[in-house]
Amino acid sequence: MNLRSIKFRLVAWYAGLLTGIFLLLCASLYLDLRLFLENNLRESQARRARQLADALLAHVNQTGEAYVVAQIKDWYAPESNDRFIRVRRADNTLVYISAAPKDGLFDPAEIPLYPPDQSTEFSHKQKLSGGNTLLIAGLNFKSSGNPDYFVEVGALLDPVDTMLNHLFLQLALGLPLAVGIITVGGYLLVQRALQPVEQITRAAEQITQLNLSERLPVRKSGDELERLSLSLNRMIGRLDDALLNTKRFVADASHDLRTPLTILRGELENMLEDTQTDEELRARLGGLLEETIHLSKIVDQLFTLTQIDSGESRTDWKRFDLAELARTTAEQMSLLAEDKNISMSCEVAQPACVVGDRSRIKQVIVNLLDNAIKYTPSQGSVQLRVQGVNGHAILEVADTGMGIPPESLPHVFERFYRVDKARSAEANSAGLGLAIVKAICTSHNAEVEAYSSPGQGSRFVVRLPLQKSESSSSTHDIQHVKKSISAIY
Amino acid sequence: MRILLVEDEKKVADIIVRGLKAERYAVDVCHDGQQGWESADAYDYDLIILDLMLPSLSGTEILDRVRRKNSQVPILILTARDGMDDKVKNFELGADDYLTKPFAFAELLLRVKALLRRGPVNRSSVLRVGDLEIDRLSQKVKRAGKKIDLTGKEYSLLEYLATHPGRVFSRTMIIEHVWDQSFQGLTNIVDVYVRHLREKIDDPFPNKLLHTVRGVGYSLSDEATA
Repeated sequence: MNLRSIKFRLVAWYAGLLTGIFLLLCASLYLDLRLFLENNLRESQARRARQLADALLAHVNQTGEAYVVAQIKDWYAPESNDRFIRVRRADNTLVYISAAPKDGLFDPAEIPLYPPDQSTEFSHKQKLSGGNTLLIAGLNFKSSGNPDYFVEVGALLDPVDTMLNHLFLQLALGLPLAVGIITVGGYLLVQRALQPVEQITRAAEQITQLNLSERLPVRKSGDELERLSLSLNRMIGRLDDALLNTKRFVADASHDLRTPLTILRGELENMLEDTQTDEELRARLGGLLEETIHLSKIVDQLFTLTQIDSGESRTDWKRFDLAELARTTAEQMSLLAEDKNISMSCEVAQPACVVGDRSRIKQVIVNLLDNAIKYTPSQGSVQLRVQGVNGHAILEVADTGMGIPPESLPHVFERFYRVDKARSAEANSAGLGLAIVKAICTSHNAEVEAYSSPGQGSRFVVRLPLQKSESSSSTHDIQHVKKSISAIY
Repeated sequence: MRILLVEDEKKVADIIVRGLKAERYAVDVCHDGQQGWESADAYDYDLIILDLMLPSLSGTEILDRVRRKNSQVPILILTARDGMDDKVKNFELGADDYLTKPFAFAELLLRVKALLRRGPVNRSSVLRVGDLEIDRLSQKVKRAGKKIDLTGKEYSLLEYLATHPGRVFSRTMIIEHVWDQSFQGLTNIVDVYVRHLREKIDDPFPNKLLHTVRGVGYSLSDEATA
């Protein structure tokens, strides 16, 4: 899963925020309820202690302590109500203490005397040895004419705890479930919302410089995505216009450059024809004519480049055997090598089918071989090799020439780049041959790389996507192998 | 011989007209497409030289109209565009030859001569130039009865030159016919092949057949030409 995708991040934020809010809500609910229940219990105990004091202890002078004890037992029956009641005098001697409750949840005798307090009302929690907790509320009873008494009334806190525990369990189970449902639901929602984005992406991927007249599908939904598709379409429209302008510019510039060149060349030729022209002038005119021809060549190559760059139509694209093409091209150029006393070999192991413009790919081979022959001294060798490796047809031109210095290697495919100015001038090259190779490769989704060790030679490698060869019969293959063997000169 | 030139660039037209007139051809010039078509329609020309980008009526349109009139007059296209699409389209419409600007006038003249003299192509299976004999079926070459071994390209080059003995072929014409589009700009390849061919068919014999025409191209003929 892509952790950076909008889908994932939206859902993660969603789920994270909701979990946070839920946790806060649950915690406050739990704490609030606990506080409320404890307070409630405490108040009811305190109320009871006050009643007891007001009703019985206020008249202890007339009734005597024994009467009070009897009345407490009678009215409150603390043993059957799981309640704790203790009355003591100011000197901590007991007047009354309730007996252990009937189900024996705690032993009142065990409860320590809470240190006498000057405040009139007090409360505290008392942990018991049985694991239970007793909430005790009490008061310091003072009235004129009577001795002081401490009255303490307590009740078990456990029902409250049990209830809180139950609530806690409910929340602990419910929260992950809720978060889970929200995450899944959110994911589905986001996915649905982003579906059109996927579609737009896929459609946009299909649009290249060759089909810029096409447009993305637009859903009339009135939302942001409709606006996105519309503005993308407007952008494609502008690109289309720009490319058309470029193509028109190339055609116009081509015309406007070639016409004056034609005139220049024609006039120069005319003057050279003229028998009256003296020798020195003739030589200078010849130089001018040569330059004009060189300029025409550069213009030609520049337009070839621009044509390839602006995206040629693929109507001429066909399946063909690169190995066969390499072999015949090498054959057509073999004499160029032989003339310089360079041995040229061509190794093609088996057919390698590729799809493309055959004449353009041929131009790649011609330019690479021409280059190799040009820059290899006599007695050297040039090697052309085609093989199919891992779904790629690999064309390799290696020479034993002077090589390319490492600092120049990254630039050899740049337009008008020259490794060595003097050498190029001698070879009468415009510095565009390799740029054309690169442009053709790019338009064919192919890669081209240059390797070199100075003084030992260079190697150019072109990697074209290999097409699965049609069910060629085995005899055909054998013929090819035979051909390739005879193709090694 | 009467030639119609339809070219809107006056200076280019001027150079071509001067050159052709020096070769004693009668030349009519039109500077726009409509006029060009009217002249082509009205007179019987031996050759039409047509620029493609013309005001009022394009060269392609004129070509189409001339061919629809069922006229067989040879047509040479001049263009400042060199898109392959254009080239294919114009050949389909019936252009006989195609020359991209800027061109050498000598090149234009060679092509004009070739189109005007275009007789039936020599289809016989054996071509003969002097004592050189080329058997097109077995692709065997003999001179004075002695067998000569040629590589594939050397043979194609020789056969092409031998189809019209005496005619001068420019390097560009040779590349177009014997190699192909991809080799354009590699004109030295022709010189290299011609030199090797010469070593095999001419060097051992006193009478030279393969001639270099300076600044223009090559020809194969029995007579010693300049």
